[in-house]
Amino acid sequence: MMQLNEEEYQMMIKRCLRCSICKWIPQVQIKSQKYATACPAIDLYNFHPYSGGGKIILALTLEMDRIKPSEELRDIVYKCTECGNCAIACKFLNTLEPLEIIMRLREKLVDAGYGPMPKQEAYIQAVKKHNNPYNEPHENRIEWLPDDIQIDPNAKVLYYVGCTSSYRRKEMAIAAARIMNEAGVPFNILSDEEYCCGSPILRVGEINTFRQVLNKNLDVIESKEIETVIFSCAGCYDTFKVDYPLYRDYEFKVLHTVEFFSELLEAGRLKLTKEIPLKVTYHDPCHLGRNAERYEQWDGDEVQIMPLISINIPPKPKKTGKGGIYEPPRSILKKIPGLTFVEMERIREYAYCCGAGGGVKSAFPEMAVNTAKLRIEEAEDTGAEIIVSACPFCSTNLQDGINSRGSKLKYFDISELLMMALGLEPEKLKQILGEAA
Amino acid sequence: MLQKQVLEQFQKIVGPENVDDGEVMTNAYSYNWCMEFVNSMEGKEPLPFSSIPKAVLLPSNVEEVQQIVRICNKYNIQFKAQSTGLGPWNQPSSDNCVILDLRRMNKIIKIDERNLFAVVEPYVSGAQLQAETMKVGLMVHMPGAGPQVSPLASATSMNGPGFTSPHTGHSARNVLGVEWVLPDGEILKLGSTGLKNNSDWYIGDGPGPSLRGIMRGWAGAKSGIGVFTKVAFKLFPYPCSTKFKLSGISPNYEFEIPDYMKLYVIDCKSYNHLEKVFLKIEEEEISFICSHLSSYGLGAIFSNSIESLLDKIPIVGMKVPLVVLIAARTKREFEYKQKVMSKIMIDFKLENVIGSKYNPNSLFYAEALRSNLGLHGFIATGGFQSSKGQCDTVKVCLKTTKMSIPLKKKYIKRGVIGNDFGEGVWITSYESGHYFHIESPTMFDQTDEKSVKGMAENMEENHQFDLIKHLGAPFFVEGDKMHDLFGPEMMNYHIWLRKIKKAFDPNGIADSGFYISAK
Ligand SMILES: Cc1cc2nc3c(=O)[nH]c(=O)nc-3n(C[C@H](O)[C@H](O)[C@H](O)COP(=O)(O)OP(=O)(O)OC[C@H]3O[C@@H](n4cnc5c(N)ncnc54)[C@H](O)[C@@H]3O)c2cc1C
Repeated sequence: MMQLNEEEYQMMIKRCLRCSICKWIPQVQIKSQKYATACPAIDLYNFHPYSGGGKIILALTLEMDRIKPSEELRDIVYKCTECGNCAIACKFLNTLEPLEIIMRLREKLVDAGYGPMPKQEAYIQAVKKHNNPYNEPHENRIEWLPDDIQIDPNAKVLYYVGCTSSYRRKEMAIAAARIMNEAGVPFNILSDEEYCCGSPILRVGEINTFRQVLNKNLDVIESKEIETVIFSCAGCYDTFKVDYPLYRDYEFKVLHTVEFFSELLEAGRLKLTKEIPLKVTYHDPCHLGRNAERYEQWDGDEVQIMPLISINIPPKPKKTGKGGIYEPPRSILKKIPGLTFVEMERIREYAYCCGAGGGVKSAFPEMAVNTAKLRIEEAEDTGAEIIVSACPFCSTNLQDGINSRGSKLKYFDISELLMMALGLEPEKLKQILGEAA
Repeated sequence: MLQKQVLEQFQKIVGPENVDDGEVMTNAYSYNWCMEFVNSMEGKEPLPFSSIPKAVLLPSNVEEVQQIVRICNKYNIQFKAQSTGLGPWNQPSSDNCVILDLRRMNKIIKIDERNLFAVVEPYVSGAQLQAETMKVGLMVHMPGAGPQVSPLASATSMNGPGFTSPHTGHSARNVLGVEWVLPDGEILKLGSTGLKNNSDWYIGDGPGPSLRGIMRGWAGAKSGIGVFTKVAFKLFPYPCSTKFKLSGISPNYEFEIPDYMKLYVIDCKSYNHLEKVFLKIEEEEISFICSHLSSYGLGAIFSNSIESLLDKIPIVGMKVPLVVLIAARTKREFEYKQKVMSKIMIDFKLENVIGSKYNPNSLFYAEALRSNLGLHGFIATGGFQSSKGQCDTVKVCLKTTKMSIPLKKKYIKRGVIGNDFGEGVWITSYESGHYFHIESPTMFDQTDEKSVKGMAENMEENHQFDLIKHLGAPFFVEGDKMHDLFGPEMMNYHIWLRKIKKAFDPNGIADSGFYISAK
């Protein structure tokens, strides 16, 4: 589908059936009572307006002037990780777009002077000032880069590191870079010309600022004759892949490291030599999974075939998560010698969120960590010793969940595990095998 | 908003984070599906909102419910309980009402695999319970509303037909022991749950006169007679292998259809013929699903969008369709059921279009096993509701169907309801064909005022029609006005219902907007 326009928004907010489907993973996928639910917000806060459908009702009551913009409303609307699981469930049969509605509702709260949350406003200011939401000095952006990594200023492949990997999850950036070196892939980085991708700004409804950072990034990349941009951050990847084209077209190709590394493995350019005889489960980041599906243009017609019944010719494409990146990370893990791969119950397009997205980690840290604890429990129930994912945000939050739950699980980014299997981290591998024993 | 002292007492009971009387929360809880035409029927503006509740509370156990109800009695505030909260029946009928959202009461108390029953709290969904019962080879009955709703609500407070009814019965008849907070705060346990020694949930009656009829009767009290906090109901053998394997991405899943399932879609051509076929199939006790739907309804259960409905022409063109799904656990059982079906097909000169003219996506079988077919009713206009709702012999159900066609056509012609050629009904059977139910799902557009008002008129006229033509009591005989209309024609049951209400709820604290008031 195309991004929701105002007319569609006004129509859709009148159509919630209040059926509660949005609170659950697709009904036919429910495998147990414990892991049947889809939405962290309603799971934690229980009142109906926290659900996807509940927020559609809030949008309607606001539009009809039954309620006024307020802090009470803002707090409910922003206690949502925008993971989009509600939208997958709803669109099993329905045509509503709960996630799009939530995003637009946030924009409306911003316009009314009630959004975003104060902590989110603070990180937006940090982006404006330092090009990253962590208030870190811009010049430190490449501090993560070890001396022995080969960068090729003329490469057609660009590794876009992202703020979180640059400042907070440096191990991810290092792993991505080392693996590319190992495969002999020449790549460049933007160094101090790299700016926040704008994802955390967009998700909280600050569209104007988002436009500015988007343009800044695209201007730089387009000035460099880049053919492919590689991301290890699912959030940056989703923003470039799905959101940027809504505002400005670009020509280069975007790939997440899991796609790229999986291709390199298939092509035999990476050789997995070390055994990792451990049980591993994989968490699908929302930004890499269901939400990493591009909007499709639809220029069709709505044709009334009889009173009250209209059809779209051709049918309007629905974003249902089909464009998500699910197989490549699984294929990487399954290729690691000795590794036993186990799945959680909620996976792929209906994976449960880690709890960090949509500005929640900064504005509602307790909600973020409580959600992560639920996800970690699900991972524990698989019997896994290690949980991996492919997003620095999930990384931070799931790690917080592990600590807060006192879990024995270990978290690694998938590229770290890959490095060990490539024999690039013998000490680390020895250590985790020792701990497991 | 609540008075400060009342709010504080509620906060003490459920914790401050579980009660909210703010503008945002209470307004959001005043919305529900179909509220717009209910308002229209009551002569109000056709908006999807009811009265605004004074507050919303989230109790977590029976004691908290009991204390809330006592406070309500003390301060003369009404309450409305809701499980998953789908539909206008969940809405307060006055602005002196609090909503008890029972979401936090979500435990499966037990699954008694040997004695074939489960005990659950209000917010266990059908799909959750089904997932757990499948692990022991059993299944649960779910109403047509879908697997996301509460089997407790259906068993205690609503009606409860479902697509798998030939196999899993009717919520109204599946209910066993019940834990019930009466409108004055007393706890009543029905049947064997109330025994002093060795109490258990296996039966809902006695000793003495059964209170199950008082608790729910035909269509449930819709929170008008207290709050049900635990309920036991029957479980049924899962009809085939419980291996449930899906691949692909929602909603385009591929399902590995278990061995020993076969679908028949048959055009019976006339209602007279359908009657005979229906009775014969049910007498043989072989079906997992056995439903008559209009040709539109038939197309809908095989489609996940209005556009995909249009390529179901071979089946959408049928005159009087019947859908039969047989399922078995063993090869012998399957062969037997198929043989019986074959004989019926020959004897009644029927043809199965499945396999010859049409093959549904494999997902249809998954949705059938998980009771997800009813939700397909929404795909055309987004709004629908059923008029009618009788349970009777198949003859009466078909008489209702035939007689109602001109009435429905009148509204179709006005362009206020969707066109199903007036034939849009759903009929299914229970207990080997001892009785059937008919309802008339009707599509309307909830965003179009003309359609909403037309739908309301259509409902009203159907009620009158059913009354005059003696076609039984529809589902939606609820509220004083409707009971007063139907009661005098039906042994004055409404007088008795009022006596019950008065005895159980002397202060009129359980909101009776969709039940009956003591008056
Ligand atoms: C598409 C569709 C198809 C439908 N098809 C069918 C059908 O085939 N058969 C059928 O029977 N119904 C059908 N319905 C109606 C449906 O059954 C009910 O909406 C549903 O069963 C209620 O489940 P719930 O969890 O939503 O209960 P709720 O909506 O939460 O409650 C239903 C009623 O029971 C009361 N209630 C709920 N819990 C309690 C409690 N613990 N104590 C006291 N009162 C309580 C509520 O106040 C309300 O009046 C259909 C609805 C839809 C939308």
